[in-house]
This record gives sequence, C-alpha cells and structure tokens, in this order.
Amino acid sequence: MSLLASKMLAATSKPPAKEALLVLEDGTCFHGNACGALGEVFGEVCFNTSVEGYLEIVTDPSYAGQIVVMTYPQIGNYGVCLEDAQADHPALRGLVVRDMCYTPSNWRSERTLPDYLKREGIFAIEGVDTRALVQHVRDYGAMRAVLSSEDLNAESLANKARASEPIVGVNLARTVSCPEPHAFGQSDLASSKAFALAPPALARYRVIAYDCGIKRSILEGLVRAGCEITLVPWNTPASQVLEMAPDGVFLSNGPGDPDAVEGTYRQVEKLLGKVPVFGICLGHQMICKAAGGQIEKLKFGHHGGNQPVMNLLTGRVEITAQNHGFNLVVPSLGPLASEMEGISPAHPADLLFWAEQGIAPVVSNPRYGGVRLTHVNLNDGTAEGIAFTDIPAFSVQYHPEANPGPTDSHYLFTAFTRLMDGREDYLDIDIAKDRLEGWQFE
Amino acid sequence: MAKREDIRTILVIGSGPIVIGQACEFDSSGAPAYKVLREEGYRVVLVNSNPATIMTDPGLADRTYIEPITAEFVEKVIREERPEALLPTLGGQTALNVAVELAESGVLDCYGVEMIGCSLEAIQRGENRKLFNECMAELGIQTARSGYAYSVEEARAIVDEIGLPVVLRPSFTLGGAGGGIASNYDELDLIVSQGLELSPIGEVLVEESIEGWKEFEMEVVRDRAGNGIIVCSIENLDPMGVHTGDSITVAPAQTLSDVEYQRMRTASLAVLEKVGVQTGGSNVQFAVNPSDGRMVIIEMNPRVSRSSALASKATGFPIAKVAARLAVGYTLPEIVNDITGTTSACFEPSIDYCVVKAPRFAFEKFKDSDDTLSTRMKAVGEVMACGRTFEEALGKALRSLENGRAGLGVDGHMRASETKEGYAPLLARPTRNRIVYIGCALRRGWTPSEIHDLTGIDRFFLDRMADVVAVQEALRGARIDDMDAEAFRIAKRYGLSDVQIAFLTNSTEIIVRTRRKALGVVPVFNAVDTCAAEFESSTAYFYKTYEAPVLANGDSLSAADAAEEPRQKPKALILGAGPNRIGQGIEFDYCCVHASYALHDAGWETIMVNCNPETVSTDYDTSDKLYFEPLTYEDVMDIVDVEQPDGVVTTLGGQTPLKLARALEEAGVPFMGTGADAIDLAEDRDRFAALLDSLGIAYPPAGDAHTLDEAERVASRIGFPLLVRPSYVLGGRGMAIVYDAKQLRRYMGEAAKISPDHPVYLDKFLESAVEVDLDCICDGEDVYIGGVLEHIEEAGIHSGDSACCIPPFSLSDTLVNQLRDIAWRLALSIGVRGLLNIQFAVKDQTVYVIEANPRASRTVPFVSKATGVPLAKVAARVMAGEQLADMGLPPDTRELGYCAVKEAVMPFGRFPGSDVVLGPEMKSTGEVMGIAPTFPAAYAKTQLAISYELPRSGDVFISVADRDKRSIAALARDFARLGFEVVSTGGTAKTLSASGVACKKVKKISEGHPNVVDMIADGEIKLMINTPFGHGPRGDGYVLRLAAVRHGVTYATTIAAAQAFAAAMEVARDKGLGVVALQDLPQWT
Repeated sequence: MSLLASKMLAATSKPPAKEALLVLEDGTCFHGNACGALGEVFGEVCFNTSVEGYLEIVTDPSYAGQIVVMTYPQIGNYGVCLEDAQADHPALRGLVVRDMCYTPSNWRSERTLPDYLKREGIFAIEGVDTRALVQHVRDYGAMRAVLSSEDLNAESLANKARASEPIVGVNLARTVSCPEPHAFGQSDLASSKAFALAPPALARYRVIAYDCGIKRSILEGLVRAGCEITLVPWNTPASQVLEMAPDGVFLSNGPGDPDAVEGTYRQVEKLLGKVPVFGICLGHQMICKAAGGQIEKLKFGHHGGNQPVMNLLTGRVEITAQNHGFNLVVPSLGPLASEMEGISPAHPADLLFWAEQGIAPVVSNPRYGGVRLTHVNLNDGTAEGIAFTDIPAFSVQYHPEANPGPTDSHYLFTAFTRLMDGREDYLDIDIAKDRLEGWQFE
Repeated sequence: MAKREDIRTILVIGSGPIVIGQACEFDSSGAPAYKVLREEGYRVVLVNSNPATIMTDPGLADRTYIEPITAEFVEKVIREERPEALLPTLGGQTALNVAVELAESGVLDCYGVEMIGCSLEAIQRGENRKLFNECMAELGIQTARSGYAYSVEEARAIVDEIGLPVVLRPSFTLGGAGGGIASNYDELDLIVSQGLELSPIGEVLVEESIEGWKEFEMEVVRDRAGNGIIVCSIENLDPMGVHTGDSITVAPAQTLSDVEYQRMRTASLAVLEKVGVQTGGSNVQFAVNPSDGRMVIIEMNPRVSRSSALASKATGFPIAKVAARLAVGYTLPEIVNDITGTTSACFEPSIDYCVVKAPRFAFEKFKDSDDTLSTRMKAVGEVMACGRTFEEALGKALRSLENGRAGLGVDGHMRASETKEGYAPLLARPTRNRIVYIGCALRRGWTPSEIHDLTGIDRFFLDRMADVVAVQEALRGARIDDMDAEAFRIAKRYGLSDVQIAFLTNSTEIIVRTRRKALGVVPVFNAVDTCAAEFESSTAYFYKTYEAPVLANGDSLSAADAAEEPRQKPKALILGAGPNRIGQGIEFDYCCVHASYALHDAGWETIMVNCNPETVSTDYDTSDKLYFEPLTYEDVMDIVDVEQPDGVVTTLGGQTPLKLARALEEAGVPFMGTGADAIDLAEDRDRFAALLDSLGIAYPPAGDAHTLDEAERVASRIGFPLLVRPSYVLGGRGMAIVYDAKQLRRYMGEAAKISPDHPVYLDKFLESAVEVDLDCICDGEDVYIGGVLEHIEEAGIHSGDSACCIPPFSLSDTLVNQLRDIAWRLALSIGVRGLLNIQFAVKDQTVYVIEANPRASRTVPFVSKATGVPLAKVAARVMAGEQLADMGLPPDTRELGYCAVKEAVMPFGRFPGSDVVLGPEMKSTGEVMGIAPTFPAAYAKTQLAISYELPRSGDVFISVADRDKRSIAALARDFARLGFEVVSTGGTAKTLSASGVACKKVKKISEGHPNVVDMIADGEIKLMINTPFGHGPRGDGYVLRLAAVRHGVTYATTIAAAQAFAAAMEVARDKGLGVVALQDLPQWT
C-alpha cells in the first residue's frame, strides 16, 4: 500500500490496515484486511443472506466449524447488544464481510462488532468481494477455506486448506453442547429486549431440552410460551430423561453433519412415542434419523432470513429463518401411505408437487407409523417439516425462533404447548392471529 | 387459487398529470401492470389525462381514454365500456380518491363494477386517520397522540391537551399538501386555516410532534390467501419533520438491530391485515425514538406508492406487476420471481448493496418561496444510486442530481466558505443543500456528534460522511502520480468521482480516468437480483462498483455479472434523462423508452442508462439491459468500455445526455442519429444565424454579451423589449423579458451567477406574436412533419408552460405550408438524423424561427398521441438506418378531423409566496391532454383534468394590463352573455364601462376594505382574469394571484387563455363533453 493510500485510510474511522487472506481449497484467493482477532483459522465457507442480525449469526452455535460470509456488505452498523448473542461465546471459525463498521449507532449498542470479535478471539476479514465469493460458493458448492493474517502466501494457504479437516463426518454438536444439565427459566430472559417482547406466559410445562448447541432465543421462545426448561448434554440417555417425567422433550439445533451425532439420535429413537417431542433444525434431523431417514448434504445450504416455506396443512406461506447445510430425503422415511395412492402412486421427484396440490402427504414409516410432510421450501422444494400421525412428535428444519429473521413461524412454539396438552389440532394455527403474540409496542 | 374467470374487463385509473408528490412513478407501476393483466387475458380499459406516459400508449391497454380523472368522466367511460372490475390501487392518490367517490356515490354499484385490489372499507381505514387510529389501538400498536380539528378553535383545544409543537395534516391531500409543523399558536392558526381549505373534507389532524425521531418505511405485499412479505425496508437520512419525499432515504434500513427490525416487520404485516388490504402493495411508515426504541406508526397507504416504485427498483422485485396478478386472484406462491425465473415470488428480497435515493428540488424556479423542508413535499424528482457501501451510493446519488455537483463536495461548487460557527444555522435548518453543508461543516472541524445535535441525523450516517470527508481531505493536494491502485480503490469505496479526484489532485477528469485505468482500477458491474447472488438470475439489471481483485490460482478472476458474451446483435446504448425536474420531465423518458422498444424490434440489443427510479426506462424489462447509473461522463464511459456499443443515442433524453455528446464524441464513441456537430450547428447561435441567413429564413434580431457593456450595446442595436437568457439551458432557466435598461442591468448582475462560463443571449422579444412548435423527423432525404402545434398563450410564455393545440386553430394553410417548408430546409441543412423541434413566432404574418433543437422535444409524446404516429419510435428507426419513405407513414398533410389540446400543470400551491405568473422561465411540472371534435371542447377537458373548475355562474373578476385593455371588452361581453357578473377595479372598470359592458366596481387592495381580496376569500369570485405587465411588479396583481391560488379560484393570466376559457365554458355547458378512446382514432403501428 502506498503512503497516500495509508494516509487516506488512516483518516477514516478504520484502524491501520492489517493485511489478511481468505483462500479456498480450490485456490481462489481474496485479499482483505483483518477486522477481528488475528491468526489463522480453517473452516467450511458458507454465506448468510440476512441483512441484519449479524451478532445472532456470529454467536449461533450451529456455525461451529464454519467460516461465515455475510452477503450484506456493511456489517456492524448498529453495534453489539450482548444479550442478542445466541450463546455465551461464538463457535464459528471466522467471519468474512465486505465492510466493517467501527463507529456503530444504536441506543442498545454496548460495543462495536470488531471489538466484540477481538475480545472473543474470532478472526474476521473485511474488504473482500463477498459477492464474487458467494457466486463461487453457489456455483461450486460449499468448500473448505483458510483465513490468515500470518501466512500471506496464497499457494501455501490453499495447500493448508486442502489439508484441513472436512466438516462431513465430524461430530461438532458435542463441541458446543453443555457439559452438565442446568435449568433455564423466566429469570434468564434477556432484559434488554423487554421493550419489544411481551412478558412470558405462565410456566405450565416442564421441558427437557437436548443441547446440541442450542440458541438462546429458542430457550427464550420456549419459556415465553410457558415452558420451564432443563437443558441436558447432547448424549444424555433417554432413560434418564424419561425418569424426570417431563411434559415434553425438545431437540435443539446444532452444527455440522447429523450422521455424526449418533449419540443423540440413538436416544431419540427411545423417546419417540413415549413423550411429546419437538425438534428444530439438527433436532429435526435427529428425529428423521431416529425414524430411519436419510439426510443429504445440500450444495451450499440455506442460510438466511427470507426462505419461503409453505405449511401444507394450511396452504399459508411463512417467511423463515434458516441455517442448515443438510436436509431430509423424504422417501427414505418410507413409502407413501395407501391413502395417497389416488394422488401420487410413488414419491414425486419434486416436493413442490405437494405445494401445488395443496396436500400434506403421509409416509408409512416402518418404525413409528404415519409421518406427514407438513412444510416444504418453495425455492427448491426441499422438506422443511414433518409431523408424526401416530405418536406426538413434530419437527421443522427451519428456525421459528428467528433471531435473526422473520417471526412468521412463532406459532410452532404455541403448537408445541398444544402438543403437550394432547391436542390433535396442535399445528392448526392461523399465523395471522399468532403474528403479534409475543410482541409488545407500549 | 387461480385467477378469476368472472372478470373480463378491468378499468384501471392512472394518476393524471405529474405534480409534486405524484410523479411518473405511477407510469412505472401502471405500464407493466397493464401488460400483465393483458397477458392474463383481461380486457384493460385505462383512464388517464397525462399524454406523456407510456401507459397511455394506445398499444398498452385495450381501450385508452385520455380524459380528466374525475368522477364525471370516469363514469362516462364506465357507461361506455361496462367493466366488471375497477383496479384503483395503481394510480396513486388521484385514482384512489376518484374510486372512493364513485363507490360512495353508488356509481360502481349502479353499473355492477367491483373494486378489486382494495375495498372501499380498507381504503377508508387506511386513509381516514380516525378509523386508522382505532385500528391501531385494537392492535396495540402506538400512534402519535392526536386529535381532529374542523376549525381553528378545535385545533387550539387539542393543542392545549397535547402541547406544542404539533404536526398538522389535512386529510385526503396529495403528498401531504397543506401540512406543516406549528411551534406556536400563530403558526397553528395559519396552517390549520390553510389545511382546512385544502382538505376535501375540511379536516386537519393535529398530532404530537415526533420531530427528530428516526423515520422508516416498510414496503409490504399481501395476497388474498393472507400471505404477506416485506419487499424492502427504507430508512430516512433526515429525521421526522422532513417529508419522506424530500428526504434522502436509504435501503435497506441501516441502524435497526434484528429485534427492532422484526418488530417493525411484524407490525407492518399486522397493519395490512387489520386495515383489510386484500391484495397488492402498501407502504407503512414508522417513527422510532432514537433514545429508547419506542416505535409509533405514522401512516400507511393501501396502494402502490412512490416508495413502492423505489422499492421495486431498489430490490428488483416488481411490486406493481405482482400486485396486478394478485388483484385478479393469484396468490404469491403461484407467482414466479421474475428476476431469477425459477424461485418463488413469495419471499423477501435480500440485497447485497446499499441504495440511496436523493430528492431533486426546483426552488430556483420559485423565487421568494421558503426553501425550508417540512412535512409538505416540495421535491420535483429523485435519483437512486446503488453501491456496495452507503458512502459509495451517497456519492453516486449526489452526482446523479444534475445540479452541477460531482458528489459530496470537493467539486468546485460550495466551498467551505463559512467560519465554523457560520455553519450552525445552515445545519439547523433542513434544506436541499444541508447534505452539502454537512460536508463543509465536517471540513471546518465540526464533529459528527455536534452535527447530530443540530440536525438530528443519525450518527451512523454522519460518521460515514465524516469518513468520506476525511478521505477527501487526505487526498487533497496530492499529485495524481502518487495515487496507486489502492488509493484509487479507497477513493472509490468512499464514493469519490473522477471529477472530485481531479479537483483534489489539481488534475483533470480525463487524466484521472487514464491513470485509473492504467492502474487497472476498473469497475465491476453487479446484478440487482433480489437474492444477494444466492440464485442465478437471468435479468440484466446492473449497477457499478469497485472491488478488490479476486485471484484464482494466481490469475485474476472475472467476477462481474455483466460479463461479455459473443455479440449476436448490434448494440444501442440509450442515455436517459436523469431526475425529473421542471423543464425535463417524463416526456424525455417516454422518448427513450420508445426508442428502446423500436430498436429492440429492429434487431438491436438495447442498453438503457438512467438513474431515475420513477420511470419506465428504469424498469428492468424495458430494455435488453439496464444500467442504473448516474449520467455523467465517467459513469457512461465505464459502461461504454464494457459494452462497446455500436451506437449511442443522446438526442432523446433531453439536455442531460446532450450535454455529454461532445465529450463522448471526443472519446470516439459512435453516435446514432444526429451527430455532435449537427447539434452544435443548431445550438451555436452564430453558426445557426449564419445558416438561417443563408437559407433566407427570418429570425428575431439577436446578440450575445459577456458583460453589461456588451449587453447594453446589443440593446441599443436591436431595441427593447429583449428576451434574455444564459446559453445552454433547458426549461428557460434564468430566462427573462426586459423592457428597459434598468431591468437589463439587474438581470446581467444575476445572470453572472447562473453560468459563469457561458455568455448571455439577447433576442428581440416579439410582443404578442403567436408561437408555434413543430416536431419533425429527418432521415437525410425526407422530412416527416409530425405535428404543428399552435400555442394558446402568446410568445413570451415558455412553450412548456403554454397550452397548445393540434391542428393549429387559427393559422391559415398558407402559413402552415410556410412552416413546413422551413422545417424541410432546416432539417436537411442542419443534417438531422432523427427528431427536430422548431419553435416559430408568427407576427404580422411574418414567420420567425426562434430556435431549432435537433433532439426530442417535450411535445413528442403529446404529438404522437394526438396524431397516432409514435414519433420517437419512427425517429429511432431512422437513427438505425431506415428510410422514412419505406415506413408507410400516413401522409403528414392529412386532416385529423379532431382537436387535441395540451395544457401545463403548475405547482404554485406548493410554493407559497412565489408569484404564479407565467413567463419565459418554465415552471410547470406536468401536462394533461384533451381530445374533442372542437378546440374549445378539447381545451375544456384539459381544464377539468387539472381540476380547475369550469364555473357556471357568479362573479368574474377582470383586471388587465394596459396593453390588454383594448381586447378585454369583447371578452367581458362573452362572460356577461354566459351569465356571469363582471367585477373590476379602477382602470379596467373604466374601459369596460366605456365599451358598454355592465361592470361592478370593487376596491383595489390599496383602497381599503372590502376589496377584491376579501371577495376572493369569501368565495364570491369564481373566476379571475389578471394579466400582469411583462416583468411582474410586486403590486396588487401579485397579491391577487396568490389569493386565487390559496383559495382555489380558477384564474387566467393571459387574454388568450381567458378567451379559450370562455369558449370552453360555453361548449361544456351547451353540448356536454363526450369521451373518446385513442383506439377509435387512426393509429399507425
């Protein structure tokens, strides 16, 4: 960098430039400047299309093992409110942005994002052509990458990226689960959100939550719906859970390859049918695995806050927050139930078929009976939610707790309480009526 | 759910003429929506009085009625066409108001017409503040504390409860007309009394002031199944207190955390559900207290709005198209996202760039009016710019405004000339220049925090601007040779233009450009794809930015979306018209769009460049490619470098692209149509005069002057009165008529400020000459006369402000043939390839050429609609090499058999204090058209279309300048015969009495009370005829005309207009006015 360029940059709110590189395993190299902690980190590159909610993304434990690219170019604008964090500490490997804000503005802000990242030891890089990077990942699929401020040789970094541990086959959930069971209740709710969120409902349900890297806002969503929660580690034996005689069991979100989280889904096999179960994201995949389902890796996954999902029971579309790289293969749960014969003799190639027909098809699962496909993604026709017809259990691949993202699917927390109440129509909720539940404007 | 089969014919209402608060954004919404409805198999009937729109092209709707948008005329169309449905949500407030009137009066029920898109009840809940506030209370969403006043006393009572300051909003007015903020009881009384008059229901909302809060807007779309999405969030840079149309706005919202954003999103969806918007787009506005996040809802519009047009352009999501499909029964998941072509339209766009909209003002046109920005919108146009950072987008927006600036300061304009303290008042008062003053203040050592305290602008924006200024100052004084690639990239990241870099490094734009390119710092062009590149998109809609290079195994990777493919077709680059402003409006956009259509059909790849989000030209599917970019040399050349066009069209977008023509030609860019030299031949006064001399064509004696001395010499040579103007201007900017040496001296003193590099032109002013416009097309061999337009107002009134008629209503055939002959000779000798507009003045049967412009004129759309020959399309084909003789055009000598009148629409009501007299400087914002068998009937329609009432009886007040006194008697007699009582003051009364016209004499203002102004205020005067003498003295006439505007009294300021008025009233009263569809008139396609 020339003297003049340094002088120009030095005049701005940005700190002196510290050069850093992002290199993909295929050798593609992006230059930028470090804007968090320094060092050298490895991870799988994925991108998130949410325009706001960067802190929630940075602290989402599901990003363990990943380097996250934000598609919105200017990040950090409204600073950091610590209670927006989804975990005590970030689990992602690194953050890639086009432009980092060092002088944020918002009444809730306690510190700047780069300051937060530095304190948490998270590597971040700015100045990258993130759109080109996103297009590359979109076209060639998710891949391993390295971020470094120490080694600035692209070739050497590409070799290191290729030698790094892949995300497939690795149990990342255990790295972000809690070590010991502990409680989460009304007194744990974030006070800094009280200006916007309604006070919680009366605590009526005792829920055990398997923590595979649970987001704080899921816990808050459950508590606000009237649950008192005991978190347990990812591999807690089912017998131990059932001994506590909870009203329901919740299976949390979490990072990485679901096939590697056998310690959880083997326990779920023993829970299904014995207690009402609700799962989100990895929790949904755990339920699918328990039912013998197969999970596939998506090319570049769904990470953002604008994914349209149709509830096949109501025909209504929810705009959803999503964060997953793996997805259920529906036919692997079993053949279509006999009552579906008149509509489709076999599984259609594209699940959008069901959205067009306005039908929520039922699959005959050899282990647990009927499984209904309840939600489908309208962009690519992937499965987004299932509900068992013979046992009290349902799950969604996306994130009704949002944080960040739209809260259209908030009704699923209410649905869980209705499931625990034993109601058959637990999913039959008008999202328009549910819309303002949980918010307040005074 | 699928589309409705029980509807066959849909009536859609446009938004009428362009006025402040309602511009061509509804053309941009309407035109594509009608295309969609026709694609779905519906018969579309359109009513719109604005001829300059694409939507009123006869090919767009099945039946196109260019008629006044009034309940009376729309009912006539309903009777004629018998539609089953009325879609009122695509034509702004105008359409909504008429629809409400038709529904409430029972007309819709009577003809069995169903309102689709939005019910009457929903419109009422959305628009009536009382009902709206009740709805919000039921939802638990806060509104500002408020009350309704129907009198000044009631307003005072409300203020006693909620305290001062208060915001005042008259109900049912356009763009917040008549609103304001009152900080004391005097202001309260004034604004409330004005507001009560402006509100059609005499109601004013008095509201707790939330001035200084942050303002946000959400663009929402909903379907009949209840699915709702947010298309875009917008944050205003100016805090509450400045109308959102007057504020710089930014998309997406920049300073909301997720919890705040989602709360606003949820509330927006709940509001639409509660109000009962069944389908379509709406916008919801919020204010947020920056210190504690308290959120109140300001208002919602249950229709497509200016901001939805902006949101569509900002995200690529076509709100109006989608709204049209939703209105006929589709649901969001049934619609495919146009841009990606594969994913669902039921999603929320995610963008990976920042969008800045900046308003364009025209205060210079309205001297003496207050330029403080308030809750009453005053902007006449806007620009939009995209960048990867706010800083970059802001810089691009500011250099798009066509006001001579090249970004945020450091461009040779508006130096930081004040002391530090001197900026305090400039920062405290919101004005169009405040954004630039902020830059100056930062340079003078103000901190963002200090500026925030005075302006209320969020620190986020101020900190970004502080960075921009810091980068500029670090660069100031450096040598261009010291700039490496990195320095260039930093400058670009902070939004600096090449012009600014040149200014700071004491270099030139060309040198900066050359060095920048030599260092490899060239832009990339990213697509506006609705999805932040998550999915591939097939739509060619781009903006420019600068990125650090990406290396693939050591080689540079081409990452731009607008990558070069093998050329299949020749490429035409069409330069648009930039922001709407007075003198350059939608007419030029119409021409660009038509050229794009015609060239596409002729086998060209069309590439549009424009920065105006309100237009059809910036719809992503108008041209084969769209570049949403400023129309500057730098930005256009960057596109030329990438596209390598075979031809550039500079003659259709008005002055904006014309100004670039010379520089583009010097850069070796190939032109389509008339070349830069021919343009220069027509624009250079000496060359043009020599040409006219050689052809033996008369023109008014003229001269030019750089100094007062020179001007006085010219004046003594050719004599007064003189028409004086600066060179190279549009819309008569700075133009005036001077009658004596004193006025000339004053003018020359002011003119120096207008354009220091160019001389002042002085023409002999031909008093009371008839002015005629002629539009023609020349292919080098033949000339096709598109139309001859006779002006109603005499020479001296800017042609854009004058009403005019096709065919000429008072000119002899011999004279018209003389005009045609001159047009042929001029077009061929100038070397025109395309359009040519000639302005003539006819005095004492002598024809003078006033000017010739070898480019599209303002009248092209009107002439095209009036004659059925789309001139801009024909011109584009000529530019592409076709011959007129081969096109099968109808003979241009044919008789039309009907009259078409164009009338200008004035924005005076928006600029209290500014004189309403017409003159050589253009002041109108838009135009309307009337078509009828006779001139008076067509003229009557234009008056009704502007919502000037044609009074049937009462008092007509006549007061005219001395030169008009001779012609007034006959006119007064006409009014008396029509049943009016004639009222006059002093001199005019004497003239009338002497001529034997019965006349009631009233006091002049200076003669005490009750005088004529009292009569106007009391509503006794129904029509006022007041002609000022030449230069508009600040006497009684000025006060009278202001009173007429304020009290909505119909008025005429020229004898010619008054005569037309009398004839119009007579025909409207005696015969009634029928409606006619363009499709029933001969159309050439």
